[in-house]
Amino acid sequence: MTMWKLAWMNFRQSVKNYLSLVVSLAFTVLVFMNFQNLIYSEVFQVLGSHNKEYIDLLVQMVSFVLACFMFFFVGYATGVFLTRRKKEIGTYVFMGLSNQKIGELYSIETMLMGLAALGLGLGAGILTAGLFQMVLLALGGFDLEVHFLVSPKPVVITAVVYLGIYLFFVGKGYVNIVRSSVLAMIQAAKQNEYVRQNRLFLSVRAVAGAGLLGTGYYLAVRKGGPEVMAYAFTAMVLVMAGVYLVFGGLIPLVFWGLAGNKRFLYRKERLLWVSRVIFCMKKNYRTYAMVSILVLCSVTALAMGVAMKQRYGNMVHFENIYTFQLLSSQKGVGPRAESIIRKYTDIRYQGEIPFLVLDDQAMGPDPGDARAAILSYSNVVGLTETAPLECSFPEPGDDEVIKVSQLYLMSLITRRTGMEVKIAGKSYRQTMETSEPYLGYLQEQISFYLVSDREYERLRHLGQEQYTWNYRISDLAAFGAVKEALEELSGTGEGCYTARIAVDPGKNDTDWVRVLYPFCFFMFLVFLMASGSMMLMKVYNDALDERERCQILRRMGIDGKALYRAIVWELGTAYGLCFLVMILSSWFSVRALGNMMYTDLTAVYAGSVLAVFASLAVFCGLSVTVYWNNVTV
Amino acid sequence: MKETTIAEVRNLVKSYGARGFQSRVLKGISLTVLRNDFIAVMGPSGSGKTTLLNILSTIDRPTEGTVILDGRDIAQISNRELSRLRREKIGFIFQDYNLLDTMTLEDNIVLPLALGGVPAGECIRKGRELAGMFGLDGHLGKYPYQLSGGQKQRGAACRALATDPEILFADEPTGALDSRSGKELMECLSRVNDQGRATILMVTHDPFCASYAKDVCFLRDGQILCRISRGTDRKEFCDRILDMQAAMGGDFS
Repeated sequence: MTMWKLAWMNFRQSVKNYLSLVVSLAFTVLVFMNFQNLIYSEVFQVLGSHNKEYIDLLVQMVSFVLACFMFFFVGYATGVFLTRRKKEIGTYVFMGLSNQKIGELYSIETMLMGLAALGLGLGAGILTAGLFQMVLLALGGFDLEVHFLVSPKPVVITAVVYLGIYLFFVGKGYVNIVRSSVLAMIQAAKQNEYVRQNRLFLSVRAVAGAGLLGTGYYLAVRKGGPEVMAYAFTAMVLVMAGVYLVFGGLIPLVFWGLAGNKRFLYRKERLLWVSRVIFCMKKNYRTYAMVSILVLCSVTALAMGVAMKQRYGNMVHFENIYTFQLLSSQKGVGPRAESIIRKYTDIRYQGEIPFLVLDDQAMGPDPGDARAAILSYSNVVGLTETAPLECSFPEPGDDEVIKVSQLYLMSLITRRTGMEVKIAGKSYRQTMETSEPYLGYLQEQISFYLVSDREYERLRHLGQEQYTWNYRISDLAAFGAVKEALEELSGTGEGCYTARIAVDPGKNDTDWVRVLYPFCFFMFLVFLMASGSMMLMKVYNDALDERERCQILRRMGIDGKALYRAIVWELGTAYGLCFLVMILSSWFSVRALGNMMYTDLTAVYAGSVLAVFASLAVFCGLSVTVYWNNVTV
Repeated sequence: MKETTIAEVRNLVKSYGARGFQSRVLKGISLTVLRNDFIAVMGPSGSGKTTLLNILSTIDRPTEGTVILDGRDIAQISNRELSRLRREKIGFIFQDYNLLDTMTLEDNIVLPLALGGVPAGECIRKGRELAGMFGLDGHLGKYPYQLSGGQKQRGAACRALATDPEILFADEPTGALDSRSGKELMECLSRVNDQGRATILMVTHDPFCASYAKDVCFLRDGQILCRISRGTDRKEFCDRILDMQAAMGGDFS
């Protein structure tokens, strides 16, 4: 029998066992290919080159994340496969096969599995390209034409990236086998026997893990200026390391404690599953940590997607709050503008608000002085009486300011209160920041500070007051005509000016933001699928090792139901621990995200956690079935 | 005092293979095990020792004949009842110990009790008492891989006795042990039997090990050839077993 034949036989036998792995890899390939296809497809061309450029950039970023993820996932999968095969192919040693030949056998088998996943992924990707676009466009709320054709480029790029990664790990496995001693291969199965762990070592890991997680959580939600970027990156690294150490130290330590309490332990099948959890934790803690991190990423991705969607809606609202704004250094422009507009359309709402621009001299020589315009509290309240805007906060004190800023998609600067702001030499404390679009387009261009009426009066002589009249027209079709007509008001005179601002209701330069939600949603699915299949893979391997133990228990007369319950508890605990670590960690990650996006994502967090819970419950149920079917063969 | 029957087989027949191509492993065996018996079953390879043990211990079903355990015919009871019977009335000692790697020795010993819903305090007390009887006091917190073969097998014996079974089945219990460990195990089992705490049916090929039993049944070609009893002198009994083996011939390994 040739190597190829033997490898093909082994592959056919094991493909059923590694189906979850093949399907997950294929799904990753499918998503990667479909994302690549977006670049070469013309579906987003109609949104204009500005949006297309941004979308392509986002696709490249998502592809990079997917490729990184693919790298770790393929590494993990081939690693598990290598360990399993090492136990099995150790017997080939007795048939006189050299390490090189065994390595060759492993490489061929693994490549067959990888190629199966690639074929399946590309095939399904080509078939579902149209569907993928339809789902993406529907989730993003786009009304665009779907392109069903797939160009060869994304297929080739996907195959090259995937095969590059896959070949790297197959090569690594080959080298591993070639360098393994015969004894190591034969005894690979016996490594399962060792259970006991050094308590001191566990304690050190537990303390380090808890410390790293705590620090990571603190940094994740710590507010600040540009340093938040460094905080976020450090938090990510610390949380990842912390999760590993918690699974490798704290959780085993807790279970060791439980196992030490015999009065707790000796309760029906609890003895079976607690001892199994301890045993599995030592073998599988890296997998559990990885799964926790993946589901954490999936929750964060989904939360980010939903937040982006909400954000986009808010940005559209912000941009379109007024259709026309008139800015003038003189009073009295409003009535003239209103009469011009009313010639063409009704006005849905309108409002006027003055603001103060301080003279350069008044700002003082201190470079720390804020370059911003000043609003008075009463003027803002007056505006909200005619325009659909809110002003629910109380008037600031004489030494306080409220920052009125534009609505950012995302900001790394998360500290919005408590800062000292210097205006015209006087220090104020910023008590809050609002992005209610009182001044519409102007608010995107200039920073405003809202002060008390008394402070406004005090500052008035230090600068010049500017006046704005803001209108939202009823008939957007009249936009062009009104724009033309209002042009007559624009102009500059001696020491005075009037400017007209028109916000085109049909402009779509931020449409690219809408793809973020479907992109994040697909990332959520990929991470979730991967975490589930990693657990399934591990469970399948464990089940093969557990057959003998189950047979012993059955021979002892242990009831099948008791065994089943023990398995449910054992696997439920494994999934539950991953879920718990994720719940805790993602609360901080979503909160950090909320800080950056100026929004409260609690509801999004709860929804994402529920979605992950449902998915993990399905995977847990599948795992129990796979486990049970394999141990009771 | 009336002797209680613990297990009884009548005209036991066991065949394997498809109809028309069957091979009979057991050919009409009848055997009665009374309370506090210690019976060793010996015979050459292929004589049907392990098959007899498997049927008696309810792991396998007979083709013909009757097996009475706990006063009930095992052919008439459901699988669920058989599980309960195995759990509560039968103890097993296997050649390869079959301790669970994931548990300490103490946990292994009390496993049948804990699974049977015995209160934790009673589990602990019973586990420690048995460990004391088998000289394992200092090893309760250890895992199987930290124990010698002899300690593992004594641990397996403790586990088998934890539920106070009506009968203990031992399949080549010293098969994987060195002679010293085997002797220690047999002394422990013999002591437990002498104390009236266990009825034992053991399959072995080792005459020295069999000499600890009160009776030895010799099997050949699926039938009981003869049954000899120990009397008072174990060494003399061992010699008789060896003589019997020599007379029977065949491969006893």
